[in-house]
Amino acid sequence: MKINLILTAAVLATGVASVAFTIDQQPKPWPVPDKNAKMPNTVKSNGESIAAGKALWNMHCSSCHGKTGLGDGSKSAQLKTQPQDLSKAALQSQSDGSLAFKISEGRDDMPSFKKKIPDQEDIWNLVNFVRTLKK
Amino acid sequence: MAQDTTAVGSVKKKSYTKNTFEGNYIIDNQTVMVPIKGTLEFDIQHRFGSTEKGTQDLFGIFASANMMLGASYVPIKDLQIGFGATNERMQVDVNIKYAILKQTKDGSMPVSVTYFGNMAADTRKKDNTTLFVTTSDRFSYFYQLIVARKISEKLSVQVSPSISHFNNLEGYLNDAGQVMPILKNDNVSIAASGRYKISDGTAIIANYDQPITQNPANNPHPNISFGIEMKTSGHDFEIFFGNYSSLIPQNNNVYNQNDFKKRQFLIGFNISRLWNF
Repeated sequence: MKINLILTAAVLATGVASVAFTIDQQPKPWPVPDKNAKMPNTVKSNGESIAAGKALWNMHCSSCHGKTGLGDGSKSAQLKTQPQDLSKAALQSQSDGSLAFKISEGRDDMPSFKKKIPDQEDIWNLVNFVRTLKK
Repeated sequence: MAQDTTAVGSVKKKSYTKNTFEGNYIIDNQTVMVPIKGTLEFDIQHRFGSTEKGTQDLFGIFASANMMLGASYVPIKDLQIGFGATNERMQVDVNIKYAILKQTKDGSMPVSVTYFGNMAADTRKKDNTTLFVTTSDRFSYFYQLIVARKISEKLSVQVSPSISHFNNLEGYLNDAGQVMPILKNDNVSIAASGRYKISDGTAIIANYDQPITQNPANNPHPNISFGIEMKTSGHDFEIFFGNYSSLIPQNNNVYNQNDFKKRQFLIGFNISRLWNF
């Protein structure tokens, strides 16, 4: 009887923990104003733009997001929010304007890059590089 | 490319070459770079003792070191103001840096040109070991024009002629009892510096500094320095070997007696922390 109770409690605790873990993994919605979401990318995606974006990525982003955007950068374990896998559809289906807005504004652990990357051309270069992370 | 990429064509506006160098410093010299408006930089610099004694003082690391704490800020586009304090003769300095010309991507301007200048004051107490008669005797100045070109994404070079001026320098009495100068008050020098990137965040850096002015005695020696630079989003770190031991440029260009031919090298590092406001 006592063993059954312990087993039941253990199963329930595991269930609650797994639900809680699942909930924790769901990204918090990040609304982007329509004006920004529809903003056209003014930099053509070519070798030069992607190379410039990659340099910015390696300088500012890869320590959290990882070299290939999987969310496995060296600092990712210290963050309150696990960085998303940027190679997946959840991110890649977003418009260029949405990505540019999120890079510029930041939220929670993700800092704003408006001041560090003040040139909009560079933000678009970064967006063009992020597109190459798609799998 | 992703289907929702909405690129509508290349940007037509005049585009300047970016990141000719990673930060404000390349070993003992200023680079041509002026950080973006609103950048606050805090610098910690060290020059250890000469490596000549080997393991006796761990290649100069445990010998007496010159240190500097400094800060700079870019209040308006292309203009930086800064100050610093070093333990060497308790000097403090204020400095200014202005980007006069910037290299363009289309080649219409092939080089970037920046002016750097400082005014340093020796703040030691007046006593028998110091030469101060009036307050102005404490001051020295440095004027430099930096001309740089980013040759490729990996390779950048710059040439920097400069003038160092000291209001008051030590002299000696000749046989006739006249005060004779050892060093001239104005010394002209030229520096050549280069960076070669081995990854997005890491570069090999090198400097060569050549004093030009011929002084009556104690001519300063040139400087060869080389090292490695690591840059992250908020930090710039350089570690290197070189002959210059001072952290105020005019001191190096006038007083350096470390001679690379005699292997009088030392280890140094520059750390910069950057914030953007």
